[in-house]
Amino acid sequence: MKNPVMPASGTFGAGREYSELMDINRLGALVAKTVTLKPRDGNIPPRLCEVSSGMLNSIGLQNEGIDHFLKHDFPFMKEFDVPVIINIAGNSLEEYAQLCREIDRVEGVSGIELNISCPNIKAGGIAFGASSKLAEQVTAAARYNTQLPLIVKLTPNVYNISKIARAVTSAGADAISLINTMVGMSIDTNTFKPNLGNITGGLSGPAIKPIAVRMVWEVAQSVKIPIIGIGGISNALDAVEFFLAGATAVAVGTANFINPLTMTDIISGLEAYLVDKGFTDIGQIIGKVKT
Amino acid sequence: MLQIKADIIGKEEVMPGVFNLIIVSPEISRNARPGQFVHVLCPSGDGFMLRRPFSIHRVVPGRAFEILFQVVGKGTEALSRVKIHDTLDIIGPLGTGFKYSEDIKSALLIAGGLGAAPLLFLAEELVERQVLFYPMLGYKTKTQMLRYIDFKRLGKKTYAATEDGSFGHEGTVVDLLNRTVHNIRPEIIYACGPVGMLKKISETADEFGIECQVSLETKMACGIGVCLGCACVTRQGYKMACKDGPVFDTRDILWGAEDYEKGRASGCGCDNEAPPETDSAG
Ligand SMILES: Cc1cc2nc3c(=O)[nH]c(=O)nc-3n(C[C@H](O)[C@H](O)[C@H](O)COP(=O)(O)OP(=O)(O)OC[C@H]3O[C@@H](n4cnc5c(N)ncnc54)[C@H](O)[C@@H]3O)c2cc1C
Ligand SMILES: Cc1cc2nc3c(=O)[nH]c(=O)nc-3n(C[C@H](O)[C@H](O)[C@H](O)COP(=O)(O)O)c2cc1C
Ligand code: FES
Repeated sequence: MKNPVMPASGTFGAGREYSELMDINRLGALVAKTVTLKPRDGNIPPRLCEVSSGMLNSIGLQNEGIDHFLKHDFPFMKEFDVPVIINIAGNSLEEYAQLCREIDRVEGVSGIELNISCPNIKAGGIAFGASSKLAEQVTAAARYNTQLPLIVKLTPNVYNISKIARAVTSAGADAISLINTMVGMSIDTNTFKPNLGNITGGLSGPAIKPIAVRMVWEVAQSVKIPIIGIGGISNALDAVEFFLAGATAVAVGTANFINPLTMTDIISGLEAYLVDKGFTDIGQIIGKVKT
Repeated sequence: MLQIKADIIGKEEVMPGVFNLIIVSPEISRNARPGQFVHVLCPSGDGFMLRRPFSIHRVVPGRAFEILFQVVGKGTEALSRVKIHDTLDIIGPLGTGFKYSEDIKSALLIAGGLGAAPLLFLAEELVERQVLFYPMLGYKTKTQMLRYIDFKRLGKKTYAATEDGSFGHEGTVVDLLNRTVHNIRPEIIYACGPVGMLKKISETADEFGIECQVSLETKMACGIGVCLGCACVTRQGYKMACKDGPVFDTRDILWGAEDYEKGRASGCGCDNEAPPETDSAG
């Protein structure tokens, strides 16, 4: 990777639209929107709601399925001089396994990210990412089916994030990314109806940053594998917080919607920060929070 | 599509709470089509962060474009406080515009309130193309007749309705449409306004076999087709208002039963096959 900055899955599509507004070749990596085995329609609108310092979304993993993705989106992503990470979700262990098998055969993929906070799965609707046992099983199933670097993306909607992190590490994850969105809700005080068609949705943006920094810090204490910090990052100093907490890379989500140049600004801003503080390498600040 | 930092060279409060801004951008003014919109980063204020979408209201060819907006919340409130020579961060032009076939001869343009914003640009384009058109404008009352004079100047015959009867037809623009449509017999209807109004217009258009295109409003995040947040329900499945729309042919739209007024958030909050799911994963 040229640098430790990449988009968060689902906030950058396959990069097609943003490639018109910014220079994708400057990014550390490209991370695709979650793909599933079969196409998914996504959830009933409204799917968005802005809240204080953040937004709720209930997109529902709308995507055209892996076949369409590999045929139409991946070739576009591959053209850039940037590693491509494919993010997957399944309804069952078999689906994760099959997705990994299919992607493993594809030339030019740099890694697979497992989205294990998707709902309506086999185990009675409990997200894979909310149970250390299931998280371990799904990671093991993926690991068995791919040689590619395996990133496991954790949900913050759990009590003990370190336990989940240890479980996926022992099952063979090469890296951990966190956090996905926090489940939230917003209600229209005139109509008494929820502001999202799906009633609840995922909270992202600056509102979740302190939670994300805390979770990265906790996970960094308990596992040795690299961590990609995600959650409310909008500028270089936000990113620095994540590095200090122990992240080796960061991903930017919601901030892309506000300013498509956020990631390239962060890349330049990090360089300036390091020079200003007398460091030569980002590695010198990783995990260096003084507690 | 471009991201620009553009100068504001004109600002007018055209009626209380409704503002017109003239914004310099040769690129956007050259490329914009009627029905397209711009995604505006409103000057930072308290409690909001996302961009806000506004229709392109008019262009000064090769030089600038205008937006017409009403203050309804924090974003538009902040935007109403900009001053001439301030700069705005804008992405645009976005979305698909109104479509017109080459041989079209007569059109009806129906605006409810702020719905006049995209339709005035369309009216100017139709004049250029020598298409005969009838503006039909709905207002609350005589003192709030947004852009009436401009439409009257451009259109063949202009119809107006006010809810309190202080000018023109007393009642809604939908009543007025239903009374007059068999006389006007337009080949196509273009409409913009509250979603309840658009739904009723589409029913009339259907009944008379008239093609009808409407501009839908939804909440937006990215504005460019990435986040999949601005979904509308159509016969072809979910379509994104920001990229596939905001202009849709009403034959494609599935209007929600009682849901469609919900928060004004979606022109198509109707049910579909997808089971409701809790989704923390986006
Ligand atoms: C494609 C597109 C084009 C648009 N073009 C225009 C335009 O040309 N002129 C214009 O004035 N607006 C236009 N809008 C609507 C405009 O984007 C919203 O009014 C604006 O985003 C509201 O932001 P806010 O922060 O002021 O209000 P928020 O704080 O987001 O909302 C405040 C309250 O106002 C309600 N609300 C939201 N939108 C509207 C609305 N349009 N009218 C009345 N109440 C609303 C909300 O439900 C909420 O209760 C357009 C929207 C879309 C999707
Ligand atoms: C509109 C939207 C769509 C998202 N879609 C996905 C997705 O498909 N897969 C995924 O793993 N995460 C998805 N996420 C979560 C983000 O990748 C990220 O983890 C989260 O938004 C927190 O980062 P942020 O605060 O920088 O946005 C989505 C987030 C948003 C706002
Ligand atoms: S607003 Fe993001 S897809 Fe339309």
